[in-house]
Amino acid sequence: METHSTRSVLGAHASRLQRVGATLPFDDERHLAAHRWLVDEAWLLDAQAYSDWLALLTEDIHYVMPVRVTTALGAGFDTSPGMAHFDEDWYSLSRRVARFLTEHAWTEDPPSRLRHHLSNVRTFATEDPDHLIVDSATLLFRNRGDVHEGSLVSAGREDLLRRTPEGWKLARRTIMVDDSVMRMQNLAIFL
Amino acid sequence: MTDQTGVLADVRRGMIPAHIYNDRELFELERERIFGRAWIFVAHESEIAKPGDYVVRRVLEDSFIVARDEKGEIRAHFNMCLHRGMQVCRAEIGNASHFRCPYHGWSYRNDGRIVGLPFHQDAYGGEAGFKRKGQRLLPAPNLATYNGLIFISMDPDAEPLEDFLGDFRFYLDYYTKQSPSGIELRGPQRWRVKANWKIGAENFAGDMYHTPQTHTSVVEIGLFREPKAEKRKDGCTYWAGAGGGTTYKLPEGDLDERLRYVGYPQEMVDRMKHSLSEDQLKVVGDDGFMISAASAFPNLSFVHNWPRVAESDDVLPFISIRQWQPVSENETEVLSWFAVDAEAPEEFKALSYKAYLMCFGSTGMFEQDDVENWVSLTNTAAGSMARRLLLNSRMGILEDGTEVVPALTPEQFHGPGVAHTGYGEYNQRELLNRWADHLERPVSTVSTVEVGGPAAGPAAAGTAAGAAPAGAPPNAVAPTAADQVRAQA
Ligand code: FES
Ligand SMILES: [Fe+2]
Repeated sequence: METHSTRSVLGAHASRLQRVGATLPFDDERHLAAHRWLVDEAWLLDAQAYSDWLALLTEDIHYVMPVRVTTALGAGFDTSPGMAHFDEDWYSLSRRVARFLTEHAWTEDPPSRLRHHLSNVRTFATEDPDHLIVDSATLLFRNRGDVHEGSLVSAGREDLLRRTPEGWKLARRTIMVDDSVMRMQNLAIFL
Repeated sequence: MTDQTGVLADVRRGMIPAHIYNDRELFELERERIFGRAWIFVAHESEIAKPGDYVVRRVLEDSFIVARDEKGEIRAHFNMCLHRGMQVCRAEIGNASHFRCPYHGWSYRNDGRIVGLPFHQDAYGGEAGFKRKGQRLLPAPNLATYNGLIFISMDPDAEPLEDFLGDFRFYLDYYTKQSPSGIELRGPQRWRVKANWKIGAENFAGDMYHTPQTHTSVVEIGLFREPKAEKRKDGCTYWAGAGGGTTYKLPEGDLDERLRYVGYPQEMVDRMKHSLSEDQLKVVGDDGFMISAASAFPNLSFVHNWPRVAESDDVLPFISIRQWQPVSENETEVLSWFAVDAEAPEEFKALSYKAYLMCFGSTGMFEQDDVENWVSLTNTAAGSMARRLLLNSRMGILEDGTEVVPALTPEQFHGPGVAHTGYGEYNQRELLNRWADHLERPVSTVSTVEVGGPAAGPAAAGTAAGAAPAGAPPNAVAPTAADQVRAQA
């Protein structure tokens, strides 16, 4: 099946597991576990607790955020061919996190104030009982300095969660941002 | 309008009035005298590889459909319907043989010609009322390409693109002609920053001094092998024609070793040896300089760097082309493309793209720190205190104008233009001097184009100077867009 992860330039290593069937009921314990995982993760990202966040990713993580483009109805595509904002594996994400942890990542000194608002969580089973697919919406508000206007990024996400001995981990994330032209000065954030 | 003579004179002696980075009146002047005249990059041919492919790009507010027509010719047409002015194409990218205006349904071929005009007979009495034949969307006043880079100019009498770029073409080739097939572009990523457009252009042109400070964190995490403070000053900055850039000094070695040092596989090295000139190769092989960032006046920049892309000591080079598209005096849209030699092995292309994403573009780690500086600078430049401050942009020269480190001799540097090692702001001054030259020189009045109108009567004669010949079809079939507009004027 063609997905943004399979189509991306750097996603060859990613898990190919897909959703099976309808959404799980909201009282299904798998849904509850997935929802809880996402809320906890959002808290880590708000707190910029990036090494804790990195520990929640699997070693074969594929973290991809295509560049959205405006195309005619029926064009058959709405992302920029061969280009993404993020197309990351564990190494590149670990470098990004390592940079934030140095004392010289000026862009986040003083740090931004972040709030990841999470909603529309839907959980799906996969063929493998140790994997779940979770859809969610996220709205990131970011503010810097005192009087600067805050900026927003709205996106939908599809996550592949994997059950591991240390708990659920993120094995694949596809972020469909709702902007073609980003209105944030940089993406020194994670979604 | 305020007399800017004093501002331009200060700029020319390397003392920069801080408010030029956030000044409405100067921005209006830039709009008219720089973006209304200079050659502005809009796209690369590889973005519109097949007939019918198009991208929509802007020069300030003016939207252009940049397309490859059915005959393979590259065209840029103003994206405004000839009828009531609706935007003809509202997508950013696609493939189309025709564009149909959503308002009343006029339609145009991808070479700009009108093909469909609903109820032509009933509404206009046919050709007698509106000469549909020969009408086409308004072409960009001037269009030309270099190594597949498509530029347009709003000035029908613009000097040829080759002359405008001048000797900077020598350096452009490193980024865009590593093999006979040239580059392919991917992207762009686009994002808006609250910064003045000139700051990025100046930074990429020559600010090697900022690397050790601004980008400390990127060095600390082991991503980048080069930018130790001492190392950067061993590289040189050069300026030639419309642009200039920075280089890194390479370790001892011959041409092949030095190109492999930055991560090019031997097969790419071999192609470069055929594609680049003897002098272009000498700059690397004999002189030991490797091109890095560069800018071409007014708002096009380039990057070439070679980070690590995996847990290994190997590095891999990438190229980015970017444009600082002004939105206002304090806002810029950045368009950042990844570029790679079309003949490079697929694996190289993928890893080079990875290198690009990690370093530059909307998520790039170098870029993140750069933009923070530029936003902050722009913000501070808005007030009244900035009008009292002249920023010192004289690094590299003494009070009497002599150089701290003499220019490299032709034996030390085989490229055209002037090159210096050591810390300096030569290129920022060169860029702003060109800026001053343009701002000083008024533009000629532009001609207007009538769409199938009647002969201009006596009442209209006063304003008709330079207008299209009355009633004539605005465009005859002509070889270039430039000629088309000239034919109307
Ligand atoms: S405005 Fe385009 S058809 Fe009327
Ligand atoms: Fe920089």
